Amino acid sequence: MASSLAVDLAIVDRMLPKLDGLSLVQSLRATGRKVPVLILSALGEVDDRITGLRAGGDDYLTKPYHVAELLARVDALARRGESGNAETRTKLKLADLELDRMTRRVTRAGKKIELTAREFQLLEFLMRHSGQVVTRTMLLEGVWDYHFDPQTNVIDVHISRLRQAIDKGFDKPLLHTVRGAGYSLREDE
Amino acid sequence: MLGVLDTSPFRIAIVYSVVFALGAVALLGAVDYAVSRVVDGSTDNLIEAEVQGLREQVLVLSRGDFIELIEQRSQEQDVRGAVYLMVDPQMRPVAGNVPAWPTIDASEGKWINFKVAVPYGDETRVHEIRAQRFPLPGGYRMLVGHDVQERQDVKHLVMRGLIAAVVMTLLLGLGGGFWMGRRILAQAGAISAAATEIVRGDLSRRLPVRAADDEINRLAREINNMLDKIEQLTLGMRTVLDSAAHDLRTPLNRLQSTAEGAMHELQPGTSGRRVLESVSVEVDRMRATLDALLRIALAETGTVAREPVDLSELVESVVDLYGPVAEERGIGFASAVSTGIGVRGSRQLLAQALANLLDNALKFTQPGGRIRVELRAAGTGSEVTVEDDGPGIPVDKRELVLGRRVRLDEARNVPGSGLGLSLVAAVAKLHGARLILDDAQPGLKVTLKFQGES
Repeated sequence: MASSLAVDLAIVDRMLPKLDGLSLVQSLRATGRKVPVLILSALGEVDDRITGLRAGGDDYLTKPYHVAELLARVDALARRGESGNAETRTKLKLADLELDRMTRRVTRAGKKIELTAREFQLLEFLMRHSGQVVTRTMLLEGVWDYHFDPQTNVIDVHISRLRQAIDKGFDKPLLHTVRGAGYSLREDE
Repeated sequence: MLGVLDTSPFRIAIVYSVVFALGAVALLGAVDYAVSRVVDGSTDNLIEAEVQGLREQVLVLSRGDFIELIEQRSQEQDVRGAVYLMVDPQMRPVAGNVPAWPTIDASEGKWINFKVAVPYGDETRVHEIRAQRFPLPGGYRMLVGHDVQERQDVKHLVMRGLIAAVVMTLLLGLGGGFWMGRRILAQAGAISAAATEIVRGDLSRRLPVRAADDEINRLAREINNMLDKIEQLTLGMRTVLDSAAHDLRTPLNRLQSTAEGAMHELQPGTSGRRVLESVSVEVDRMRATLDALLRIALAETGTVAREPVDLSELVESVVDLYGPVAEERGIGFASAVSTGIGVRGSRQLLAQALANLLDNALKFTQPGGRIRVELRAAGTGSEVTVEDDGPGIPVDKRELVLGRRVRLDEARNVPGSGLGLSLVAAVAKLHGARLILDDAQPGLKVTLKFQGES
């Protein structure tokens, strides 16, 4: 069924009535389709996440989720298809901000910016998703590989430090806070 | 290898071989004694009869005839048989097959033993002689005896055999005991290794069972049956947890989506929007509590993957995640992380346990306070310490806070689900680690002690 439709992105619940979401994803992958798949599930433990991703899912979101979280992830997955080479490009660029993954050098308007290793990773993640909304959970997963939400607002502090480093002293801020959702690295019109 | 000496089969084998060796000594000693009595007795009887005969002959024969008689008997006998010697008053040999009168200080008529060198082919050998001496008329003296060397040889042979037998018994006993001990040790080792794996959460492991139907294998089989039962129950529990998760999360999700959807249609600041916002916050809180409870239950059923985890890297990353927050709040944050320390377990659960400890430390430390995180090798294992100078936990309540949903009165005004430390406790248990709460004077010092990899 899914294979006969023209689909840009699939959101698959793991527990569908009369059908296992995972086998749906597996059969989709068996036909060779590269459609991005986001798996939704009430099973949120590490093992479940691994089985979900092994079955062919590109991302995994545990219920209950905020609509903003779902939208951010769908956006990230959909864009991965069109600008897929962002994963592999060595140089990332946004406005006058440049990041070189090989030399680990970051410059803004030609001026070198000193970052810690973790700040570099954080910026790299944000630049790969530039223009999109990135949630705190996505940052914890993508940068720290933590699949849980700490009680303390740890991410906010890291973001504010990064903001100090890349935006301070420049006219146009690039790192924006998206209320109720997360952050976004983008050129503001 | 030394452990073999402590096994019961080895000890039993030692006791048995000592008892057998003592038995062999006693038995052979008794045999030797009985044989000696019979053989010695008959030799002595022969000599006494000969002495009696010669005493009678000397009375009826002239000296010349008597000497001739002695010479004749001496030649009839090989020196290894009967022995004769007749000496004159000056102790010079007159007749017989012994070269010289033995200089033994014993009264005549008593048994004497002495050694004589006898020609034996090209060499001479020293033979032992048992004899009696008696006087002859005219100051002459007579010695009659028997070569007992052969008997001595047999005795020595028996003694050597005896010693060899005892040594062999002891060696065989020791060897057998060692072998059996090693067998038992190998099986016991395999069993305890399997048991350790099972305790650490691999419930599919079973104790190794050999074909033999001895008590250890029977015991192992019984325990395996028990483990089957436990695994079944745990799987059942896991299923219940999964469906509970699903059945609770799905409606929560609908609630969340509905609230958020409705929220976007209302202007920020209106009372309706505020109600929906607080609904959303509450749903979040429920989700966090549900997640924590499910994780604790999952950690307690011990059904989590056990992969190698670089603990040094993990502690560093948690330190790196929380350090800036502490600084921002004006809390001194120090860390000392030894490199190259690993454990087996779940990286996510360990990370969450550490994060919970740091969440707690941050929650209870005032600006100007300090937090210290340390990872170091300890013995064969390692330990992680998180220390703060907050209010700490009174000694009598330390056990209590590890239970579920305990929040001390002092913490009522601080947000949190009260599940943080119980998750840490469950994760510690799952990883075979000990969770120790200490007084940091002032403050709380939490230590997670991991055992070395076996």
